[in-house]
Amino acid sequence: MKKETTLAELLRQQGVSRRGFLKFCSITASLMALPPSMVPAIARALEQARRPSVIWLSFQECTGCTESMTRSHAPTVENLILTAVSLDYHHTLQAASGSHAEEARKVAMKENWGKYLLVVDGSIPLGNPGFSTIAGIPNLEMLQEVAEGAAAVIAVGTCAAYGGLPHAAPNPTGAVPVSDIVKDKPLVNVPGCPPIPVVITGVLAHFLTFGRLPELDGLGRPLAFYGNSIHDRCYRRPFYERGQFAESFDDEGARKGWCLYRLGCKGPITYNACATTKWNDGTSFPIESGHGCLGCSQPDFWDGGGFYEPLSRLPGGGTAGLAAAAGAGVAIGLGASWLARQRQLKARGQAEEDSR
Amino acid sequence: MSVNMENFQRFAEAVKQLGSEAPACKLTDEECLAAVKETFARRLTPAMAVQLESCVHCGQCAEACHYYVETGDPKYTPIRKLDLLKRFYRREMSPLRWLHRLYTRDITLDDLSQWQELVFDSCTECARCSMVCPMGINIAEMVLVNRQALAAAHLIPPELRTMAQEQADNASLFGVGSEQFTQMVKQLEAQGLEVHLDREQADILLLTSVVDILLFNDVLAASVKLLNLLEKSWTFSSEGFEAANFGFLSGVESVQKAATERVIRAARACGAKVVIVPECGHAYPSLRWEAANLEGEPLPFEVLAISEFLGRELKVGNLKLKKIGRQKKVSFHDPCKVSRHSGADRDPRELLRALDVDFREPESGGIMNWCCGGGAGVFLINRAADLRQAAFRRKMKQFDATGADSVVLSCGSCRLNFMVGAQRANWDKGIESLVELVAANVVEKSPPADRGSAIQTNGDPS
Amino acid sequence: MTLLEFARGPAMSWALIILVAGLTWRLAGLLLLLRRRDLSRPRNTHTWWGGFRTIFTRFWPHREFLRPTAFHLAMGYVLHIGLFVVVFLFVPHILYFKGLLGISWPGLPNKVVLLAGALTLGALVAFLVRRLTHPVMRTISGWDDYFSWLVVTLPVVTGLMAFSHLGARYETLLAWHLLSVELMLIWLPFGKLAHAVLFIPSRAQLGAWFQRRGVRA
Repeated sequence: MKKETTLAELLRQQGVSRRGFLKFCSITASLMALPPSMVPAIARALEQARRPSVIWLSFQECTGCTESMTRSHAPTVENLILTAVSLDYHHTLQAASGSHAEEARKVAMKENWGKYLLVVDGSIPLGNPGFSTIAGIPNLEMLQEVAEGAAAVIAVGTCAAYGGLPHAAPNPTGAVPVSDIVKDKPLVNVPGCPPIPVVITGVLAHFLTFGRLPELDGLGRPLAFYGNSIHDRCYRRPFYERGQFAESFDDEGARKGWCLYRLGCKGPITYNACATTKWNDGTSFPIESGHGCLGCSQPDFWDGGGFYEPLSRLPGGGTAGLAAAAGAGVAIGLGASWLARQRQLKARGQAEEDSR
Repeated sequence: MSVNMENFQRFAEAVKQLGSEAPACKLTDEECLAAVKETFARRLTPAMAVQLESCVHCGQCAEACHYYVETGDPKYTPIRKLDLLKRFYRREMSPLRWLHRLYTRDITLDDLSQWQELVFDSCTECARCSMVCPMGINIAEMVLVNRQALAAAHLIPPELRTMAQEQADNASLFGVGSEQFTQMVKQLEAQGLEVHLDREQADILLLTSVVDILLFNDVLAASVKLLNLLEKSWTFSSEGFEAANFGFLSGVESVQKAATERVIRAARACGAKVVIVPECGHAYPSLRWEAANLEGEPLPFEVLAISEFLGRELKVGNLKLKKIGRQKKVSFHDPCKVSRHSGADRDPRELLRALDVDFREPESGGIMNWCCGGGAGVFLINRAADLRQAAFRRKMKQFDATGADSVVLSCGSCRLNFMVGAQRANWDKGIESLVELVAANVVEKSPPADRGSAIQTNGDPS
Repeated sequence: MTLLEFARGPAMSWALIILVAGLTWRLAGLLLLLRRRDLSRPRNTHTWWGGFRTIFTRFWPHREFLRPTAFHLAMGYVLHIGLFVVVFLFVPHILYFKGLLGISWPGLPNKVVLLAGALTLGALVAFLVRRLTHPVMRTISGWDDYFSWLVVTLPVVTGLMAFSHLGARYETLLAWHLLSVELMLIWLPFGKLAHAVLFIPSRAQLGAWFQRRGVRA
């Protein structure tokens, strides 16, 4: 029965007005950096699109990504598209449990083989299959099985995209990102800890509208959302340019809202849409709240030095290494000059002999 | 001022013949290179090493060099003259030699003959480049090491080889040995001067030079007159009279040492406390700075340039000078080796001030003076004649700008070079000796007898 | 490991180790050469004073040489002051030094640093043109001169690019910048860039030599 219903009908059934739907379409278009002229096309495509089938797998994760999606203060269109309309399997959100839940997954896969979207959050442990299982099935096995029939895969959150926290040194579970396992399907990374909800639905909308995934950057992220660094779009950027920096979290500079670079802000090397879309329904984002960017949408952000270390302060080295280097240099130098000295003594001896 | 122009022309002819008598080289190619490298290794000091390490190839030294400035030929860039030493150092002595060897060419026999021109013909070791170098590289001092290295390989210009050989073999220069000097002394005595020769005991040993003996007899006479007037206990030595040191100039260390030793022996023989070096540029550092190190112990006497000695006597009031007056406009040419190399640039000025002449300090005077272009033996190298003349243009410009009528000098070879240069360029400035000028205007304590007639004039240009 | 992580981590550590080891090697390598005791009678005995003085007096040429060395003087000062401003007074750099040395000092506004960086680059270009065209400089230049020019210019260029986010993504530019700085640090002890340190003993030697001889140079 569901097969015949379009997305537009389903949304209407959920109480979304035409006006609300068009607003969503235009927001999506602007977020994806599409011209306003594309809004009707998106709306038409989405209205006529069949209900998408989405299977959401959660592996080594903290449920933060799901929380981020569902804890919006009011149900949004993007939430509805995902959680109410499309999700066939999400073991945190679905009503069914136990073998019924797994049965639902199997049915969804079978009915939509080759067409469903696979969303993954969490990393996959390779160290021991028993580290993380669902219904007794190791994460790796389940991912390979579900990915086989997927039209495309969306890795949601930094864990799924780049390994994230489980991957941090010393990586006890041997955690790897989805991209290490799934090589033969279109894959989009939507990193962030957690990622911005609208980015996930934006990708979904793009997929439904154009039938393909959006353009990606070198790290597999949609360029439309991850094309600019936090620093580039930060409203505190002018303070950086003027060399006005907060030195501590409670000094004059912090109160005046100066740049947080010195307090470890990773904005310059972090690509995400936080500074433009913001969080909590556009309320604010970390820097606006007075805390530097942690760089959570970047690979290995846990291992990139302390969160409160300025970007320009480099790890490693240490005075011990330099002292050893100085010692070695002096030793080699003295050796070299001792050899040269022998040469000089020999030449002097030679000259004395000649003059005799 | 009487310079016998006939003698001068004869001397110039003798210089032209110099090279033809040069002894031939008996070393094989390999021995030449080995000798050069051995000398470099032997003479290298940590001071030179750190300076060779620090060059940034900025080329500013060129702007200080009279040969580059007057010809515009980049091959005369002073630091480039050290290339042989530099390359040897980088390849074989530097702390980083294993790295430098990868991109530093070894020195070849061709290089040696090419660099002969650069360290002999076109460098007077005047050290003006050392004054401009932002890294403080003492180029002149290292050019000397290059000369020594080439000398060890018998690769010095024939003129200098002849001179060094003569000084080594006969202890004479241009045929002026002990005997000829003794005759000169007699000649001076015939003029009525009281000359002390080979006194057993004297406080001061006065040296002279072949140039003064052959050409500038009046300078010699003036020195004698002044020492007598000052009532000094002084003497000449028939064995150690020659201040010029062609071992030093040509880089032949054995000859340098022998020539130095003759003077030291003579000074020891009479128990001299002071040895006075005549108006001869290179002779001063040779004895003042080099001799003790060749000897291996501090010298038992003090070494003074005659200008320095006179300046000192003036200061203590022993020397009293007549005021010549401002109608006489003079300038002064500092000998590089005495002023820039040795810090004795103040005394000549004190003397000229005491004479109350209209003293015109030239631009770039004192320790910044431009070299005459003929120092460090370059004057004798015939093939360098045109280059010298080019460099001399700088001197003419410098002194023309002062408006002085004559240039006072305190170095025989500078004076020779000025005379030759002026003759070639028809330059009409007077060229005179400081010592002669002083001697001619000294206040004599006793009424002058009929002696000293040869040194009466106020030093008009000859 | 990303390029930036490599540049920030192991590459920087090794560059500093090579810098320190290379410089100490080069300086210690002069210590045991045979010295000559100068037995001549000195005019002045406090030769250290002449050496010390000359380290500073050679920062400015004698007036004799002002005109003929005007180009080097002007461009040299622009280059060195520019580099000083850019390296030591740019706030992110100061934070780096704070991490390395534990001390910090006030910086300059970015606009000033940017201007200094542009002037520095201009001076570098002027020096290169001069080196390629002036007969004297061309004659005495070797590959060290050109390579050293390159390894100094690269950090300036990549720094300006990273600063203005031109040419590539910021973290890529930052990685290039760091790598080029590291290349410079690695080469510094081995080529002519070591004059940053060597000018001190070199000038001091000449100063002491002249002082001993009573020459007020």
